[in-house]
Amino acid sequence: MAGWFDPRRTNIERWAYTFQRVTGLAVLAYVVAHIGDTSFFVGGPFGEGPSRASWAAGLSVTESLLGHLVLVMVVLVVVYHGINGVRLILSEYGVIFDKPSRPDYPYRAKSLRAVQRHLIWVAIVGAILAALYSGGLLLG
Amino acid sequence: MAGEEVVLKIRRFDPSLDERPRVEAFAVPLKEGMTVLDALIYVKSRLDHGLAVRFSCRMASCGSCGMKIDGRARLACETQISSLPRGAVAVEPMDNFPIVRDLVVDLERFFARHAAAMPGLVRERDPEEQESPTGEYLMAPGELESFVQFTYCIKCGLCSSSCPTASTDALFPGPQALSQAYRFLADPRDEGEERRLERVDAEHGVWRCHFAGTCSAVCPKGVDPALGIQLLKRHVMSARSPFGRKKRRGAPVFPNPNGDLLGQP
Ligand code: SF4
Ligand code: FES
Repeated sequence: MAGWFDPRRTNIERWAYTFQRVTGLAVLAYVVAHIGDTSFFVGGPFGEGPSRASWAAGLSVTESLLGHLVLVMVVLVVVYHGINGVRLILSEYGVIFDKPSRPDYPYRAKSLRAVQRHLIWVAIVGAILAALYSGGLLLG
Repeated sequence: MAGEEVVLKIRRFDPSLDERPRVEAFAVPLKEGMTVLDALIYVKSRLDHGLAVRFSCRMASCGSCGMKIDGRARLACETQISSLPRGAVAVEPMDNFPIVRDLVVDLERFFARHAAAMPGLVRERDPEEQESPTGEYLMAPGELESFVQFTYCIKCGLCSSSCPTASTDALFPGPQALSQAYRFLADPRDEGEERRLERVDAEHGVWRCHFAGTCSAVCPKGVDPALGIQLLKRHVMSARSPFGRKKRRGAPVFPNPNGDLLGQP
């Protein structure tokens, strides 16, 4: 495990990898909490059935400054995980790399540059913009 | 430079004697162009003969001197002290390998995994051609270009020692073996595709790679194993899909008009 969190002096892809794993766990935790939350109030274990009031009660869980901050974090994490996930899928199809060729010194790995690397920044900037937008809506 | 010293902080560990590793510092007089390996050889010959360190070629060719220098996997013979940040230099054995002693790690499993990747041409049609060649296999320059970088591997182990998957999954073949598997899958002369795919498209195989890319960042030979692994994933998907591009049969033998391969009539 320690290997995951020791990206000293290496490449940005390693950070992207670590964040992808952490955000993956965060998204999973959110989805579980979200489904639990909504099913509790819609239908509900007390058998009151779906109603406007129970739905509103469900929404009220996040109706606070802390709740809104959590939701903004969720947007940040989901958008990063999504865009970076697309980058990883594209890399598995080999479409975001330069073609292999005879390497020349000083070697610069083809997999660690060009479109592939730009896409990491797209994921980071995209996630920040989405979080700012949602923050504006929720907190503004 | 004259009179200057560099301090090496070397992690020492003898599994047969020590309970846990310890760090020992050695001051070495600096010389121009000095590599970390030069400094280690100085320590071994003048300060502590007991230091275990493995090396051979001293020119980044044999792959013996892989170790962790200032937190990053590098070849000691290729790392100039002047290229490192000022201050003491931390020297440790590579991660993800059992330690034999001090800076020497056990590469046996690593080599076994290389062997398991079947690092030789597999021919179904003319197996006897491998033992007693009558000519050369035909290959276009572009075809050679598509895999030649993966043939530059010197089996130093730096990539596998830096791989986060290798550090959590003991059965993962590692970037070295997987990129070698791709090297032969991409080789137009090879006919072992099915057997190779079975080995890499497995539970602890190629899909355990999530592209942290550190293998390629530390590789000293420009092999770029991460690229090989991603292309390997593409190859597996293509071969397994009814719509994918299929590999053509192995390249034919081109008889040598000059008699045998040494040009003897
Ligand atoms: S791929 Fe590079 S880092 Fe890995 S063993 Fe081969 S030469 Fe060393
Ligand atoms: S001594 Fe051969 S690679 Fe360093």
